[in-house]
Amino acid sequence: MKSPIIQLEKVWKTYKVGEAPVHALQGVNLEIHRGEFIAIQGPSGSGKSTAMNLIGCLDIPTQGAIYLDGQNISELSESDLAQIRGRKIGFIFQKFNLIETLTALENVTLPMIFQGIPEQEQLKRAKKLLEQFGLGDRMHHKPNQLSGGQQQRVAIARSLAVEPAVILADEPTGNLDSKTGHDVMKFLRELNTKEHKTIVLVTHDDELARHADRIAFLKDGTIVKDIKVRGG
Amino acid sequence: MRLEKSFKLALNILFHSKLRSWLTIIGIVIGVAAVVAIVSIGEGLQQNVQNRLSGLGADIITISPGGGRAAGGFRGFGDHNMEQTSAIKSSPKNLTKRDIQLIASIDNAKVVHGSVSAKGAAYYLGETATVSVNGIEPAEWKEITTSELESGRFLGPSDYGMIIVGSRIAQKTFKQPLVINRMITIEGKPFKIVGVLKESGGPGGDDNKIIMPINAARDTLQDIGNEKFDSIIIKAENADAVDSLLADIDAKLVLARHLTEKTKDYNLQSSKQAQERMASIAQTMTLFLGAIAAVSLIVGAVGIANTMFTSVLEKTKDIGIMKAIGARNTDILMIFLLNAALVGMTGGILGISFGAGISSLIPSLGLRMIGPGGGEMTTVISIKLLAEALLLSIGIGMTAGVIPAYRASKLRPVDALRYE
Repeated sequence: MKSPIIQLEKVWKTYKVGEAPVHALQGVNLEIHRGEFIAIQGPSGSGKSTAMNLIGCLDIPTQGAIYLDGQNISELSESDLAQIRGRKIGFIFQKFNLIETLTALENVTLPMIFQGIPEQEQLKRAKKLLEQFGLGDRMHHKPNQLSGGQQQRVAIARSLAVEPAVILADEPTGNLDSKTGHDVMKFLRELNTKEHKTIVLVTHDDELARHADRIAFLKDGTIVKDIKVRGG
Repeated sequence: MRLEKSFKLALNILFHSKLRSWLTIIGIVIGVAAVVAIVSIGEGLQQNVQNRLSGLGADIITISPGGGRAAGGFRGFGDHNMEQTSAIKSSPKNLTKRDIQLIASIDNAKVVHGSVSAKGAAYYLGETATVSVNGIEPAEWKEITTSELESGRFLGPSDYGMIIVGSRIAQKTFKQPLVINRMITIEGKPFKIVGVLKESGGPGGDDNKIIMPINAARDTLQDIGNEKFDSIIIKAENADAVDSLLADIDAKLVLARHLTEKTKDYNLQSSKQAQERMASIAQTMTLFLGAIAAVSLIVGAVGIANTMFTSVLEKTKDIGIMKAIGARNTDILMIFLLNAALVGMTGGILGISFGAGISSLIPSLGLRMIGPGGGEMTTVISIKLLAEALLLSIGIGMTAGVIPAYRASKLRPVDALRYE
């Protein structure tokens, strides 16, 4: 049997709001396998953002363990987490989160810079990715010269730059009109089917979640339902 | 991440920084410009002193009247006459023919020359002016002077009614320049100009003097008398003999004039000593002025730190994004540190340019040095000064940027990403 690429074991995340502890996640168990397209769905306040931060190695759990590719990330330093993020995870955010002062091409090369990939290789890969997402003629445009859909495509290209094992998409269509949103989801689907990327989609939206093969429903910090909607 | 990459990102931040960053840079520009200008003036001063004193030659010893160092310590610096006027006030001319003979009898004294100097009224082509006149022994003077002729000739032993003139006095004192074979009237007596000297280069030399035979000077000028000298200049056999000669002269004079260390009524100084003393004064002055200018640099540094803090705040989201896509704390630290260094460097380069500009304008303003020297103010901008100023400004930028950069590097990615 294939080992999961992401595994959450009794994960708790507790924040302190004033004096009172708030449990954003309460003993979450979740296994995500290589090549899966999973949606983590839940209303606001359900803890899905916290879950995304933990899966994305942006934060560590208060209790429990998270394994990424077999490695327990719960005890790593911020620097080690950064390394793992840089190598294994590609982020796609609702607000695109491109660096405004850099061009599309520079934004896509940025994660490769942090990984010390040679410059020639950086440019080659970035150009290829941008062309793949239909931005061949927009490479030297800054984010504010691009439409929302184009910006999100740059962000997707960026997320793929270091050839990560997992793509983590947080409400990727939240700031897009429905047609552009649809296109973005099509891209994600293609990445999953053609390139076998593991995709974790975090959303509150039923319809969006239905693009995934599996949906884990999160409510009040626990997974209340975990269903397969398609595929084997 | 390689340094080169951090540098590119830091450069990117700088290019996209707001007006505020440029205002910060101006703070550094002013500080660096002030330091460069002041230090270049100081170095110019030091070089003037060196020129002036090396013009005297390393083998020259000067004796002037006066007790202790206070009265005549600056003998080597600037215009003779002004100091000697002050020396006259504090102590009478008391160097005599006998002193000259006494010194001439010492082994290593190659040439011993007594001179007098005073101011006199000159009349030339309808204009009058007060001029400084040096009375010299033509034969010996030729041996000790470092002045060169622009035109004409030096004075000979029988040139009673003839003079040579310094370049500045020839060019600037009268509307018409003084040229050879013209007549000039000094204190009512006519003199023929037989030579014009080249500019000495330094602020001193003989540029501001009229030089005439000593017997003519004694006959022409008031307050000179017939026996006494204003200064005795001794040329040693060679530069190495200067120190021993200095000691020998001192010993002989003290003995012959029945003096003790306390009652000494003359000043004895080698050009080397004068050079050292003046160099140290000039250096102290430069340091002092430089320190004042440095205060503005400190203010500039505080400005950079302030702007960096704001910039880190503004870039919080970007820092979060960069961390999310794999930037380590050290990467962020380097980016912001290099950004601060670049702010410093930009300020430094602009400041150096302004400072150098100001300092190169100073000589053309025709300012004159303060004090008895009175030479024209010149400035020296050395590569070393520019390099130091640049390094200093980069260092200031980085020092000011350390804490903000450290803070940026320590931002938690989750919090930074949430920042709006």
